[in-house]
Amino acid sequence: MAILIDENTRVLVQGITGRVGSFQTKIMLEYGTKVVAGVTPGKGGMEIHGIPVYDFIEEALRDHEVNAAISFVPARFAKDAAIEAIDNGIPFLVLTAEGIPDHDVITILNYAAAKGTTVLGPDTPGLVSPGKCKLGVHPNRVLKEGHVGVVSKSGALSYEVCRVLVEHGIGQSTVVGIGGGPLWGLSQKDVLKMFQEDPETKVVVLLGEVGGTTEQEAAVFIERSMDKPVISLIVGRAAPKGARMGHAGAIVEGEEGTAENKIKALKNAGSFIAKNPSQIPEIIKKVGA
Amino acid sequence: MRLLEFQAKRIFSRYGIPVPKGVLIESPDGLDLEKLSFPAVLKAQVPVGGRGKAGGIRIVTQAKEAAAVAKELLASNIKGVPVQAVLAEEQAEIERELYLAILIDKQTNMPIIMASATGGVDIEEVARENPEQILKKHVEPSIGLPDYVVRYLGKNLGLGDYLESFREIADQAYAIFRDCDASLVEINPLAVTPSGLLALDAKILLDEKAAFRHHDLFTQLQAEWRRLEKGTKTMAEQLAEERGITYVPLDGDVGMISDGAGTGMLTLDLIQDAGGRAANFCELGGLAGAESMRQALEVVHANPNVKVVLISLIGGLTRMDEMADGVVQYLEQHEKSVPLIIRMYGTQEEVGKAKLRAVGIETFEDLEAAVRAAVKLAKES
Repeated sequence: MAILIDENTRVLVQGITGRVGSFQTKIMLEYGTKVVAGVTPGKGGMEIHGIPVYDFIEEALRDHEVNAAISFVPARFAKDAAIEAIDNGIPFLVLTAEGIPDHDVITILNYAAAKGTTVLGPDTPGLVSPGKCKLGVHPNRVLKEGHVGVVSKSGALSYEVCRVLVEHGIGQSTVVGIGGGPLWGLSQKDVLKMFQEDPETKVVVLLGEVGGTTEQEAAVFIERSMDKPVISLIVGRAAPKGARMGHAGAIVEGEEGTAENKIKALKNAGSFIAKNPSQIPEIIKKVGA
Repeated sequence: MRLLEFQAKRIFSRYGIPVPKGVLIESPDGLDLEKLSFPAVLKAQVPVGGRGKAGGIRIVTQAKEAAAVAKELLASNIKGVPVQAVLAEEQAEIERELYLAILIDKQTNMPIIMASATGGVDIEEVARENPEQILKKHVEPSIGLPDYVVRYLGKNLGLGDYLESFREIADQAYAIFRDCDASLVEINPLAVTPSGLLALDAKILLDEKAAFRHHDLFTQLQAEWRRLEKGTKTMAEQLAEERGITYVPLDGDVGMISDGAGTGMLTLDLIQDAGGRAANFCELGGLAGAESMRQALEVVHANPNVKVVLISLIGGLTRMDEMADGVVQYLEQHEKSVPLIIRMYGTQEEVGKAKLRAVGIETFEDLEAAVRAAVKLAKES
């Protein structure tokens, strides 16, 4: 089971010949991900780590069955690549690029919604269902098969938490990075809903940060619709107001965006609150999942 | 990225949205306000909301008074921001004040146009107390702003004779939103005057992620900011800006560099929990290589308060071998460095650790242990 991706996921890599795309394809292959084809305009006919490269997705689909794509295409070309994936009916698209203009993101997300493509990202490390499929850039060492679902805005924070979990012998069902915002394809709430419905997931870790109100929306969903335990860690308690903390979405404007406000909303919704990563395994052991 | 009012109004004028006649004042010396008719309004050019209530907007009745008030404003701070420029504008005869805004609605990922017949300074209060007084319509980005939506808003704002003028302003505001990659175009108030509609204030937020397709506009804006902010930024901030590094100054003594935004914020929280005080937030982003790390070390060292630099790395996209190269290059080029505490984990970490070991640096595996070591060192030095 797991969510979104599993052992039957067959992956196309957009931007496979670039520095990052090529390196991360190698790591995904080492992890066991079924990467079947890559696309880079003008590089058709090449091979990268044994994977055939095409100029267009349409050409790749003539030779291969594909049900997910991950894009390493740089921000300024990311919209065109995403539209190509959507036009070709790719059902699940992961957008890793950081810095895609907001207007391009809304064009992509509205078109994807109209055509039935699910989008994860942008500015996401991707996702991984340990032991089954990795469609992302997570360090392999922090992953282990298990029953904890992890959803995070930040990639690095999810690696940090997964590292601590694995050190305590705790594995994950699926680890999902939704991206640094301020616009998201799949939201925290969407992913929580999938974890709630996934029989393999027994407990959920929600990793949030200052800025926006998505954690408050997640809190409403937790209160109304979840019976699985949720452990939340919200970073940015020490962040000053008005400053952008690295992620485009991480900026405290008004009271709603503060870590304090988010922690309060999640606590009131019945979520466990961790102050730092090392408290998370302690809470998981306590709830007995 | 928030534009100053005079910059936003310049864009309004280019798109044919009517604004009051005005003069920008950057220095109290040699003022020539003769061309302006009085009474006039003097407005401090600071990128903060609520500046009217904070004393940043003043009405003057003649040129001599204007010069004195301009001088006073230029020597003042509005909500902590030093006033570097004042916009002097002819005062309009206001019959009523409307509100108009176009922005990206983050709940639906769609543009949204909002309008209200109760514009003016207290729009936030209207939004809170009487949200039904703000009309909202989503816009499908591939279609653009439909005319019927504009007519609907115009009718409900009671615009009557001014409908044609409102249509022009709404269309042009949407054109600015689309053409300039704005995340917000706001006119508050949009005044109804005897001679027509007039944008008395202008707020535009631009998306710096789209700077690559607005080269001339961004170059002009940045040159103006640099001129106006002269002397208000620290060395470290200027250096960070030149190099495009995310850098937020804080008031402690533990310098911080991370390769992820989330872990950077976590590291700040952990420093605080350990009883220390961070000197800054500095994040490299996923595509960073050795050069970014070397430059970030220069930026963080430019703050004289820094006693120790804590580097918090957990690589997914970032490669630890490249991060180590950046640290080694920095140390080769600079005779002096404050102590470096480095936490290194993740992609290519064995190579990275070996490179650092070769220059005598042992890295930490555990982040919380690294934080404790950095806070302790800062306290001892």
